[in-house]
Amino acid sequence: MPGPDLLSSQGLRLDGRRPNELRRIRCKLGVFAQPDGSAYLEQGNTKVLAAVYGPHQASKSKSLQDGVVVNCQYSMATFSTGERKNHPRGDRKSQEMSMHLRQALTAAIKTELYPRSQIDIYVEVLQADGGAYCASVNAATLALIDAGIPLRAYACACSASMAWRNGQPEPLLDVGHVEEAAGGVVLTVASLPSTGSIGLIEMSHRLHMDYFDVVLSRAMQGCKDIEVILDRAVREHLAEGWTKQDVVVI
Amino acid sequence: MPLDYRRFNGPEDSVSYKRFTKDYLKSYDELYKELLDDNGVRKDGRALSEARSMCMFFARTDMVSQAKGSAYVELRKTKVVCSVFDPREIPHQNEFSQLGQIFCEVKFAPFSCPRRRRPHAPDAEEKALSVALRKALEPTVCRHLFPNYQVDVFIYILEHDGACLSAAINAAGLALADAAVPMYDIVTACSVAIVGDRLFVDPTEAEEHVATISPETNSNHGVITMSMLSELKQISDFTLIGSMDTECVNTAMDILEKECETLVPQIQKILVTNVVKSFEQRQRLEEEANDREQALNIKMEEWRKLLNAG
Amino acid sequence: MAGLLLSPTEKVFIVHGVQEDYRSDGRSNIDYRPMELETDVVSHASGSARLRLANTDILVGVKTEIDVPSPENPDLGKIEFFVDCSANATPEFEGRGGEQLAIGISNLMQRAYHSSQAFNLKQLCIFESKQCWKLYVDILILECGGNLCDAVSLAVKAALFNTRIPFVKAALMDGGNVDLQLSDDPYDSKLLDVGSAPLQVTLCKIGDKCVVDPSAEEESCSVISVIVGITGNSSCFSEDNSSPDTGGKFTTIDMNGPGSVAPKTLKDAINQGRVAAKLLDKSLGEALLRERQESVKLKKYSYGFLK
Repeated sequence: MPGPDLLSSQGLRLDGRRPNELRRIRCKLGVFAQPDGSAYLEQGNTKVLAAVYGPHQASKSKSLQDGVVVNCQYSMATFSTGERKNHPRGDRKSQEMSMHLRQALTAAIKTELYPRSQIDIYVEVLQADGGAYCASVNAATLALIDAGIPLRAYACACSASMAWRNGQPEPLLDVGHVEEAAGGVVLTVASLPSTGSIGLIEMSHRLHMDYFDVVLSRAMQGCKDIEVILDRAVREHLAEGWTKQDVVVI
Repeated sequence: MPLDYRRFNGPEDSVSYKRFTKDYLKSYDELYKELLDDNGVRKDGRALSEARSMCMFFARTDMVSQAKGSAYVELRKTKVVCSVFDPREIPHQNEFSQLGQIFCEVKFAPFSCPRRRRPHAPDAEEKALSVALRKALEPTVCRHLFPNYQVDVFIYILEHDGACLSAAINAAGLALADAAVPMYDIVTACSVAIVGDRLFVDPTEAEEHVATISPETNSNHGVITMSMLSELKQISDFTLIGSMDTECVNTAMDILEKECETLVPQIQKILVTNVVKSFEQRQRLEEEANDREQALNIKMEEWRKLLNAG
Repeated sequence: MAGLLLSPTEKVFIVHGVQEDYRSDGRSNIDYRPMELETDVVSHASGSARLRLANTDILVGVKTEIDVPSPENPDLGKIEFFVDCSANATPEFEGRGGEQLAIGISNLMQRAYHSSQAFNLKQLCIFESKQCWKLYVDILILECGGNLCDAVSLAVKAALFNTRIPFVKAALMDGGNVDLQLSDDPYDSKLLDVGSAPLQVTLCKIGDKCVVDPSAEEESCSVISVIVGITGNSSCFSEDNSSPDTGGKFTTIDMNGPGSVAPKTLKDAINQGRVAAKLLDKSLGEALLRERQESVKLKKYSYGFLK
């Protein structure tokens, strides 16, 4: 059972948020000139860069007849975590993350439009403070939009946890590093909120069946909130009407 | 990193017993003083500006019989073997490359260095030397003549007593010529170690060691290696480590240029002797073959006579 | 570089431009492109900097750890450079694709910082022959738009300038163990003396002339470039201007590319690089000092990648 100290007696969390409150999300599309699409996203202290190349011709071995190959690489900067990482990528965790990213994003991309092609999505975590996967999915979605790749819907990811307050279960939205480290359950959902479908769901630790629905619906609510934020960012970016890519370099 | 399982790998924090000897604890000043005697002569009897000569006896081609071309260079205690293999298609390559490539690998023998045992797996220094060697050789080889192919150059340093990069470049130049790889010019290389206002041409390991230690004062120190195509007056690689001012770099460059030029006739001589030797050898072989054939013919005749008589 | 294809005519255009000292983006041969520099961008690192030189984007984080000094140099700390070429820069770097380039740059940095006249490792000593600081300088290449070496060396110097090392009290206990006491106050820390840290200048030989700060297009027109590392002037990096004018010594010279140069050209290039490095060092010092003063007065607004 997760410790009761995740929520104070006033019902506030360790970092002062309310249980259903997201961390501050700031984002920007088109940060780089060379990739076809790029985005930067900050979710609290978690900072992520995403770049998209493609669609381009797929290598012969990977090529699919009926859809596009989505190639993802998740890598973490060596200085992104509290303790220095020795390898930015190639370890088990980042390979698993790459696979999960691919799953969530393939669900969003209209893959049937580009047979025998490939889209490369590279995600670089600059600073990890919990929820690096969620931030990666959100940033990758923005980068895909910046690259002009047709999507079914926004792919948004959000995590949720469980805490107890006065004997009542209270799901927590958008889990930070401290709450993750406290050892509670973390449910991560990547979904297409506007269609109501789920692309990926993953849970760590133990959660009673009775509370699953509550936590899941809180995470889904979080995805919906994130979609609103991303949508606003995209609209603002397009209203500017002038991205770095439009500046012609000889 | 592949570990060498055939060897008992000591605990990583093991230290050489030499650490506890008196030599090890010498201060910088003591080490510096030891390099020169009172007459300004170096420990091995050379003057400051005198390079170790690469005489005929200590440098030869035709060292490794399996290789297409090979060379052995010995500068007193620095001993280097180089082998060059036939061009082969570049492995794991997707695109066609217009220019042929040179693959270089420098390896220290485990027992080569006086201060520590060399690890089995390639370390950073070996990788850096390989890159420097490749850069020195690339401009000398007519790479457009073998597109999409690569020539492998392997250097094995048997004993390291300073200036191993320049010895490696000289050996590689000889071996490439021995392998009949088309080249624009003979490539030669030389090193200089700088300690304060003194320049040690073709330094030994002890001199290099002192030159790489940073002194307390703000004086110049460092090691420069330069490789040249003397006939074309082109510098193919220049490597500097340490800290020195412009004047020092310029004087060192002039000295190195001269040293590289003096090496050329020696290398030419070795190559010519090698050609003459191999020509003579072939002639001798042919003569022997002729002799043998004649002997056989005589035998045949004898047998035939015997048969006919029988 | 990623998908950089230039036709022979475009190359001729660039080469002719360099000959006339008027490059395709309007610069002369000794001009740098505009740069953006911000320090203290990564909160998990002791010091960090992000440098954007036109399209080249570098993020450097410095992490500090406590280590045992090497037996050869008991009174010196350690510094290690690690370069990571992010696949964000080009798909060629995916997996282990960028490793060759990364090793090349980190070797170059290691060599440039080798001499104590470039960076004094004594300031990282905690307790002689027992404990020292080890600096991990992690360089992340996010986008390549030419001239990586210069950008990396600038960003590294800025990140080291920004690095804070906590004060440590060390005492020798019984049995030869060292007892370390760290203060709980994160502001109880010292800054590093990095004024003399070297900057690298790449001189790209195009035609008969050498240009400074080549763009990716210009790099593809050249077969050889000379990289010179030159120590900085510490008086540019401290607020009192009394300290003497130092620096300007070569800590590394290297050649990059398959070509070769004539001795005269190399000498000229080295001198040209020295002049360029001095100017670069001066403006870097000014920018860093200005930023430090601003951050003392008010809490700095962090731009990061949002600008």
